Amino acid sequence: MSVLEAPRAKVPPKPRNPRTVVVGWIIAAVVVAVHVIAWRATDISFAALAEGWAGMADFLAEAIPPDLSPDLLLESAEASLVTLWIGLLGTTLSVPLSLILALLAARTISPAGWVYQVTRAILSFLRAVPDVVFALIFVTAVGLGPFPGVLALVAHNVGVMGKLWAETLEEADPGPATALRSAGAGRIQVAAHALLPSVLPQLVGLLLYRFDVNVRSSLVLGLVGAGGIGFLINQSIQLFQFDQMLTHILVVLVLIIAVDRLSAVVRRRLTPEAA
Amino acid sequence: MLRLADIVVHYGDREILHGVDVAVGRGELLAVLGANGSGKSTLLKAAAGLTPAARGSVTVDEKPRGIRDTALVFQKIHLVGRRSALDNVCAGALARLPLHKSLTPALFPRDVREEAMGCLERVGLANRAHDRAGSLSGGQQQRVAIARALCQRAPVVLADEPVSALDPAAAEQVLALLAQLAHAEGLAVLAVLHQPDLARRHADRIVGLRDGVVVLEGDPNQPVDVLYENREPEVATP
Ligand SMILES: Nc1ncnc2c1ncn2[C@@H]1O[C@H](COP(=O)(O)OP(=O)(O)O)[C@@H](O)[C@H]1O
Ligand SMILES: [Mg+2]
Repeated sequence: MSVLEAPRAKVPPKPRNPRTVVVGWIIAAVVVAVHVIAWRATDISFAALAEGWAGMADFLAEAIPPDLSPDLLLESAEASLVTLWIGLLGTTLSVPLSLILALLAARTISPAGWVYQVTRAILSFLRAVPDVVFALIFVTAVGLGPFPGVLALVAHNVGVMGKLWAETLEEADPGPATALRSAGAGRIQVAAHALLPSVLPQLVGLLLYRFDVNVRSSLVLGLVGAGGIGFLINQSIQLFQFDQMLTHILVVLVLIIAVDRLSAVVRRRLTPEAA
Repeated sequence: MLRLADIVVHYGDREILHGVDVAVGRGELLAVLGANGSGKSTLLKAAAGLTPAARGSVTVDEKPRGIRDTALVFQKIHLVGRRSALDNVCAGALARLPLHKSLTPALFPRDVREEAMGCLERVGLANRAHDRAGSLSGGQQQRVAIARALCQRAPVVLADEPVSALDPAAAEQVLALLAQLAHAEGLAVLAVLHQPDLARRHADRIVGLRDGVVVLEGDPNQPVDVLYENREPEVATP
C-alpha cells in the first residue's frame, strides 16, 4: 500500500508585531555593545597570544616528559589524597548546617517570612564569597595547611548546598505534609516524616555532586596555601620544575576522574528509584 | 457524635455553604453526594477545621471539635512512597509523641509500632507492613492511609472522595472497609462520594448537597437525580 500524501495547503504569513521587532533589535544592539566594552576592558590581544605561543612551547618542552620517579609519584599521590580528604570533609561537615538552613529557607516549611528572608540572605552571602577567598581568610587565621581548606569549603558549600536543598524541599510533593499536618504533627515532625524522606534521593544526589565539585575546588585552594596537591603544583611552578608539575597534574587527573565516575555511578543508581 | 450546625462558609465575597446541618452518629457511614462545585469538599474542610466557618458550629459529642477529634483520608493518597506501610501508619501517632521519640521511624516507641501494626491488621494489610508504601496497589495504599487515620485514634473519620482514584473493585473494597470500621468499631465516618451507586451499596445514610444547600437526606436508595440535573454550565473561577 502506498503512503497517502496529505494535500498541500498554503502557509499564511506569520503575523509580526512591530513592537517585538523593535525590541529584538534593541536587545541585539545591547548585546553587541556589552561585548565591545568587555573586549576592551579585558585587553584581548591576538598579538600577545601569538608572541606568547613560543613561551608556551618552551614551557611544554620542559614539562614533557613528566618526572615519573617513584619518590615524586608517592609524594604526589599522598598530596592528592589530602586533596581528596579536604573535599570529603568540606562536603560532609557542611551537612548539618546546610540541612538546618535549607529547612529554614524552604518557603513551604519555613516558620516565618522573616526567618526565610534572613536564611536566604545568609545562604546568598556564603555563596557569593568564593571558596578561594574563604581559604585566604582562614589561612590567615589558622595558618597554612589542609585545615583552612576544609573550613573554606564548608563555608562556601553550606551556601550552595543549603540553597539547592531548600529548592528541592520546596518542590517536594506537598501531599504527605498536608496529611501529617492535618493529623496534628508539628513542623519538625512534618519535615522529618513527610518532606525529607520524599526527597532523600535528590538530596543525596546533590550531596554527591557537591563532593565532586569540592574535590576539584580543594585543588585550587591548595594553590593559595591550603594544603594538598594544589600546594605542590604551585611550588613546582615557582621552582620552574615543570616536569614535576606535569606529574602532579596527571596524578590529580586520575583522582578527579575517579571521583567523577564514582559520583556519577552512585547518582545513577539513586535516580531511577521512582518514589 | 459529629454535628455540623448551620455552617456558612465564604470564599472571598462568595458564600459557598448557606447554613448546612449535617450529623453523623457513632457507628454510621454517612455519604455526602453532590455535583462538582456543590460544596462537598468545603463542607468536609469545615468539619476538619481546615476552613473557618463564618457562622455555625462543629461539635463532637456535644463539645467543640478539637484537633484530635477528626482524621482525614484524601483522594490523592498522600503516603510517603519510599517509607514502609508500617512507618506511614506510625506517622498517624505523631501528634501524641514528643520530638525525641519521633524524629526518625527508628525512634518510634514499641507500643506505637504495635498499635500501628494493629491498625494495619484492621485494614487487612498486616502481611505488607514492611513493604514500601509506593510498591502497593492504589487500593492497598488507600487502606494504609485509612490505617494511618485509625492510628490517630480520632473518633471521626472524614474522607474526601476516598475512592475516586481507584479502580471499581478496589473502590468497593475500600468503602466496605470504611463501613465495617464504622459498624464494628463505632467510628463516625463521613465520606464524600462521586458515585451514587457506591453510596447505595455502602452508606447507612446520605446527604445531598446542591449549590451549598442540603436538598435531600436519608435513605441511600432514594432517587438522587435532583442533585445532578439542570446544572448551569460550570463557571470558571479565577
Ligand atoms: N480555596 C477556594 N477559594 C475560592 N473558591 C473556592 C475554593 N475552594 C472551592 N471554591 C469554590 O467553592 C465551590 C465549592 O467547591 P468544593 O467544595 O470544592 O466543591 P465539590 O467538592 O463539591 O466539588 C466551587 O464553586 C469552588 O469553585
Ligand atoms: Mg471536592
